[in-house]
Amino acid sequence: MAKNDLQGTLDLLVLKTLAQNGALHGYGIVLHIQSASGELLRVEEGSLYPALHRMEQTGWIASEWALTETNRRAKYYRLTPQGRRQLDIAQESFDQLVKGVRAVLRYA
Amino acid sequence: MAAFRRIANLFRRSQMDREIAEELQAHIDLATEANMRQGLPHAVARRDAYLRFGNPASTRERVAAADAHLGLDVVYRDIRYALRQLLKNPGFTITAVLTLALGIGINTAIFSSMDAVVLRPLAVPALNRVVTVAEQRGSLYFAVTLANYEDWLRQSHSFEELAVHKSADMNLTGAGDAAQVTAALTSASFFSVLRVQPIVGRLFTQQECHPGSDGVALLNYGFWRRHFDGDTHVVGRKVQLDQREYTIIGVLPRSVQYPSQADVFIPLAPTPDQISNRFARGYLVLGRLRDGVTVKQAQAEMATIAARLDAAYPATNGGWTVHVEPLLANINGDLTPLYYNLVMAATLFVLLVVCANVANLQFARGIKRRPEIAMRTALGAGKWRIVRQLLTENILLAIAGAAGGLVIGALYLHLTLISMPERVARFMAGWSNISLNGRAFAFSFGLAVLAGVVSGFAPALDALRVNLVDQLKAGSRSTTGAGRSRRLRNVFAVAQVAMAVALVIGAALMSKGMWSMLHLADVYQPNRVLTFDVSLPAARYNTPRRRAEWYAASLDKLRALPGVVQADVTSALPYHDIAWLQDCAIENRPTVPGKMQNALRLPVSEGYFNAFHIRIVAGRGFTGNDTLDAAPVAVVSQRFVAQYFPGENPLGHRVRLGGKDSRDPWLTIVGVAAEANYSLWDQTPNAAVYMDAAQMPPEGMEYAIVARGDPMALVPTARHVLAGLDSNLPINNVETYAQLLHEDLIGLIQVAVMLGIDAAIALLLAAIGLFGVMANLVGEQTREIGVRLAMGARREDVLRMILRRASWLTGIGLVAGLLLAAGLSHVAANLLLGVRSNDPVVFSTVAMFIAAISLGASWIPARRAARVDPIDALRSE
Repeated sequence: MAKNDLQGTLDLLVLKTLAQNGALHGYGIVLHIQSASGELLRVEEGSLYPALHRMEQTGWIASEWALTETNRRAKYYRLTPQGRRQLDIAQESFDQLVKGVRAVLRYA
Repeated sequence: MAAFRRIANLFRRSQMDREIAEELQAHIDLATEANMRQGLPHAVARRDAYLRFGNPASTRERVAAADAHLGLDVVYRDIRYALRQLLKNPGFTITAVLTLALGIGINTAIFSSMDAVVLRPLAVPALNRVVTVAEQRGSLYFAVTLANYEDWLRQSHSFEELAVHKSADMNLTGAGDAAQVTAALTSASFFSVLRVQPIVGRLFTQQECHPGSDGVALLNYGFWRRHFDGDTHVVGRKVQLDQREYTIIGVLPRSVQYPSQADVFIPLAPTPDQISNRFARGYLVLGRLRDGVTVKQAQAEMATIAARLDAAYPATNGGWTVHVEPLLANINGDLTPLYYNLVMAATLFVLLVVCANVANLQFARGIKRRPEIAMRTALGAGKWRIVRQLLTENILLAIAGAAGGLVIGALYLHLTLISMPERVARFMAGWSNISLNGRAFAFSFGLAVLAGVVSGFAPALDALRVNLVDQLKAGSRSTTGAGRSRRLRNVFAVAQVAMAVALVIGAALMSKGMWSMLHLADVYQPNRVLTFDVSLPAARYNTPRRRAEWYAASLDKLRALPGVVQADVTSALPYHDIAWLQDCAIENRPTVPGKMQNALRLPVSEGYFNAFHIRIVAGRGFTGNDTLDAAPVAVVSQRFVAQYFPGENPLGHRVRLGGKDSRDPWLTIVGVAAEANYSLWDQTPNAAVYMDAAQMPPEGMEYAIVARGDPMALVPTARHVLAGLDSNLPINNVETYAQLLHEDLIGLIQVAVMLGIDAAIALLLAAIGLFGVMANLVGEQTREIGVRLAMGARREDVLRMILRRASWLTGIGLVAGLLLAAGLSHVAANLLLGVRSNDPVVFSTVAMFIAAISLGASWIPARRAARVDPIDALRSE
C-alpha cells in the first residue's frame, strides 16, 4: 500500500535495501541508501524509524535483536514474503508516479 | 491480524517504549562508533551523531504512534472519506440506500417468518433429536396403538424418553362463554421429551396420568391469552371439559406450542384395557433420541422391534412396521416449506435486481469519478487501496440500507401477521413466534455486506481500469474509456429486465392459479352464505334422536329469522376439503380385491340441494318423510353412478359406508344428484353419498344460512335463538362461506401476494435501471448526436437510434427472462397445485407489458436526445 507522498518512496527504498542485503539494523539501512544513491539521498532517522515500525506492524518486515560486529545489541530488520510482494507493488506504483508526474509536467 | 497486534501493543506500552528507546540509542551508538573510527574524539563523535539524529524524544513518540495506531487509522479514514463522498452526492446516496432498504427489508421479513415457521417453529433444545414414531403399513403412516407403544417403551434403547399424546375436541364450560376447544391428552413424559417448562404453575406428574387422578389441565399460551386474558392467577381455577371438572395447574410458554392447535393439555390416563389394546391406532408418539443415536439407527432398531411384534401378534401386527422421522419434518409437512422456499428464492432474486441497480448507479458515478481516481493513483494509491475505498463506500451504503430495511421488514412482517386469520395461524406451530429477532438482524447485516460487495465489485474494478496518462491529459472531462463500462452497464440492465420478466411471470401464474381457485365456488354465491359449525357434546346428545331433534329445532328457529332465505346443515361445504372419504360397500356385490371402492360421506339436511343449487337428476331428494323411523335412504352423486353403476339404474340399490366393520345401516338409493366438488385441490370430485341428517344425525355439522342481505348481520340473532335452545353449546368459526374459502387458500394467497410484491419491485427497479442506462448513454453521446444533427440527420432518426438501442437491451432481456420463466414455472407448476406453466396468455401479456414499460422508460432519454441543440452540443465540448 504505497502512500501518496514521499513516504511511499521511503518504504520502497527500505524494502529494496532489505531485499538486497538480508538483515540490517536501522543505521545500516541509512548507510546503504546513502552509498547506493551515490550520496544523493539522505534518509532522516526521524522518518526512518516510524516507517520501519509501521512496516513491521503491517507485516512487510520482521525484526529481531542481535549483536553487531562490535558486540553491541541492535534491532535487525529483514523482509517477509509479504514484504517481497509489496516491493513489487511499490515499484510498479512508483513507475506510475514517475509517469504521471512527467505527464503533468509536460502538459501543465 | 495486524490490527490485533496493534491493539495488543496498546496494552504493553511501557515495555514497547523501553525497546524503542534502546533501538534508537543503539543507532546513535553505532553512528558514534563510526565517527570514532574516522578519528574523531569520543565527545565530538557523539555530539555529531546526536545532531544528525534530530530530536530523539519526538522520534520516539512517532515510532510508538506507528506501532499503536496505523491500521485502525486507515479503516477509520476509509470510512470517513466514504461518508464524505456519499454526503457530497445526496441524490445518489438516497436512491441507493432506499433501493437497498427495499431489497434487504423484504428479504429480512421473509427470512424472519421462514425462520420462525419452518426452521425453528419450536424453541425446543436440540430439536433435531426429537422424532415422531409412527406405525407404517405399505407406504402409509398411521397413528399407534397403546399396546405397541408400551412394547416400544420396554424394548427400545435408541431413546432417552418416549411420549404419547392424542387430540380430542371438548367443550369447555365454567370459564366465560362455552367454547369448543382442542385438548391434547399427553403422557407426563411429553413435556420432558420437548424439554418445556411452564411459565406459570407446574406440569403433570406421573401419578396424574392414571384414571381418577387426572383432573388437572395445562393451558396453551395462545389460548390462555385469548380465553383467560393472560391472567396469571388462573392456576388453581376449576373448569369443566365435557362436563368433567379439571383444575388448571399451569400455562405453557409461547415459544413451544405443540401440537399447535391444542388449547388445553390434560393427562392421558389410559385404562388397563386401553393399554393392552392392539387394534385402536389413535395415538401419536414422540421420542428424544439418545446422544449420538441417529434417526437412521433409531429407525433400524424400531424396525427390528416391529418385526418381533409382527411375529408375536400376527393378527394385529402382521405387515406393520415403524417409521421414525424428525419432528421438524413432521410439523412442517410438505406445502409450507415449499411455499417459503419459493417466496424466499423470489425475494433473493429481487435483492439481485437491487444489487444490479446499485451497481448501475455506481457505474454512472464511476465515470464521473475517473479524474479523482486517476489523481489518487498518480499520487501513489495502490489498486487494492482504491478497491477497498470503493467497497467501503458500498458497504456503508448497504448498511444504511439494512437499517432502513429493518424498518421496512418490520412493517412488512406486521402486515403479514395481521393478514393471517386466527383459524389458520393456530395450525402453524411457529407463527406466533415471528419477530425481527437477533437472527433476522444478523441475516440483514450479512445481506448488507454481501449486497455491498456484489454491487460494488464490478464498478470498483471498472474504476481501476483508468488509463492514467490519458485521463490526466484529458483534464476534467470525463469521456475517456467509457465503452467498457457502458457494456457492463448494458449487461446489468439486461439482467435486470430478464429477472423482472421471470418474477412477473411467476407472480402472474401464481395469481392466476390462486384467482381461479378462489372463484371456484362462485356458483354458490359464497358472499351470501353465513357458515358456522356446531358440535354436540356426546354426553348430552348421546342418541341419534336427540341429535336429530336438535338439528330440526335449530334449523326451524333459524329459518324463521327475518333475512334468512334458507338454513341448512351439511357435514362439509363444497370445496372446503373436510368431507370424509370412507370405504363403501354395495349390496350383493362382492368387492374386487385391490380395487378401491369409496365415497364421501355427506349427511345433509333436506333443503341442502336446493340451497346450493345441486340439481336432482334422477329419482328424488330428501323429504320430510325421511325420518329416524323410516327406512334410511341415500342420494348419490353422478360420479358415484358413473363409477359404480355404469350403464345401470342405481335407484333401489343399497349402499353402506364404513367398510367391513361398519355399524351403519344399509341405505337405499332414492336419487342421483348433480356433481359438486368437496375439494379445492382435486380437479375430479370423489364419488359422494348424501344421507339425510334427520336419519343419520352426526355429532357435528356445518350450518349454511343463505341470507337475503349481508349474512354477517344475522349473527347476533342467530346466536340468540341457538342459545335459547341450548346455552352451553359452543358455536365456532362464524364467518361467510367466502371468508371460509379465502382462509382455506390463505397459503396460496400469501405466496401470490408476496410474489406480486417482489415482481412489482423488480419491475420498478428494472425500469429505473434501463432509464439510467439510456439517460447516461444520451448524456455521453450528446456531442455525437449534435454532429449527426449538424450533418443533416433528422430528429426522428436520432429518436429511432436511441430507441433501437433500448429495444435491443429490452429484447435480449425479454428473451432471457422468458426462457428463465419457462424453466422456473415448469418447476413451480410441478410443485404447486393450481399453477399452470404453459400459459401462453400470461407469457405474452407479461412480455408485452414489460416491453411497453421498458420502452416507456427509454422514451424520456430518447426524447431528450432528439431535442439536442447541435450548436450547444458542439460548443460544450
